[in-house]
Amino acid sequence: MTNMFSTMTISTHGMRAQGERVRVIAQNLANADTAPLKPGDDPYVRQVITFKNEMDKASGEKLVQVDEVKKVDKEQFITKYMPDHPAADDQGYVKMPNVNMLIEMTDMREAQRSYEANLGMVEQSRDMMMRTIDMLR
Amino acid sequence: MTIQNIALFQALGAKMDYLDTKQKVIAQNISNADTPNYRAREISDVDFGRVLSDVTGSKKVRMASTNAGHMPAAGEVSKGKNVKQKTTYEVAPSENSVILEEQMMRANETSIDHTLMMNIMRKNIGMIRTALGQGGGQ
Repeated sequence: MTNMFSTMTISTHGMRAQGERVRVIAQNLANADTAPLKPGDDPYVRQVITFKNEMDKASGEKLVQVDEVKKVDKEQFITKYMPDHPAADDQGYVKMPNVNMLIEMTDMREAQRSYEANLGMVEQSRDMMMRTIDMLR
Repeated sequence: MTIQNIALFQALGAKMDYLDTKQKVIAQNISNADTPNYRAREISDVDFGRVLSDVTGSKKVRMASTNAGHMPAAGEVSKGKNVKQKTTYEVAPSENSVILEEQMMRANETSIDHTLMMNIMRKNIGMIRTALGQGGGQ
């Protein structure tokens, strides 16, 4: 039975990590059009999240944790022709964030799928536990 | 006499313990489905037929293993080991080898086996009840 509770803890942590991932994706999408304030500045930089499997001393199990949320600066910013914008350079171009909607949406789908898998695991463990308890009747 | 002393119940208990651990390992795989460098793990197979014949067949005195560190006695079946999964469908570019569908399938198998063990146990308890004359033959 203790294994069943560990199963639930492990899956719950998986769900929490995926939730955090969705939060980062939401932030990227919300800032897809966040241009810099003045010429020469950088716009919003897309963020990515990574996970790690780490020992949790409290439960004695390896649980999935958020490793880090870091900015991706390898990707080039998109330049957009907007001469009236306060952040436009001499030629009239504004640097826009390197957020690609399609990539973010795909990532979100993946997060959702992983979240559902974890949820399924919690439900199944709960059913198994309930069936064991039902033996008392 | 407790119910644990009956050979069949002992074997059933061992199998359920194994299934619990198996479920835990699957949960760990699923929660790490997006962790870079994570390799899927599994519990090695245990021959439960041997467990059963070991507890039913012989009149040998068996040593009880009361600690996880105890080595299994000769003729006794050890617990399943938590090992890296040898064959996987594919490995992602991030070096992660967890396939959600495969893991869900394994989880379902575990659940089915668990139900089977429960039902066998229930039937046997029913048989004992019948023998006791309490009309528990459901």
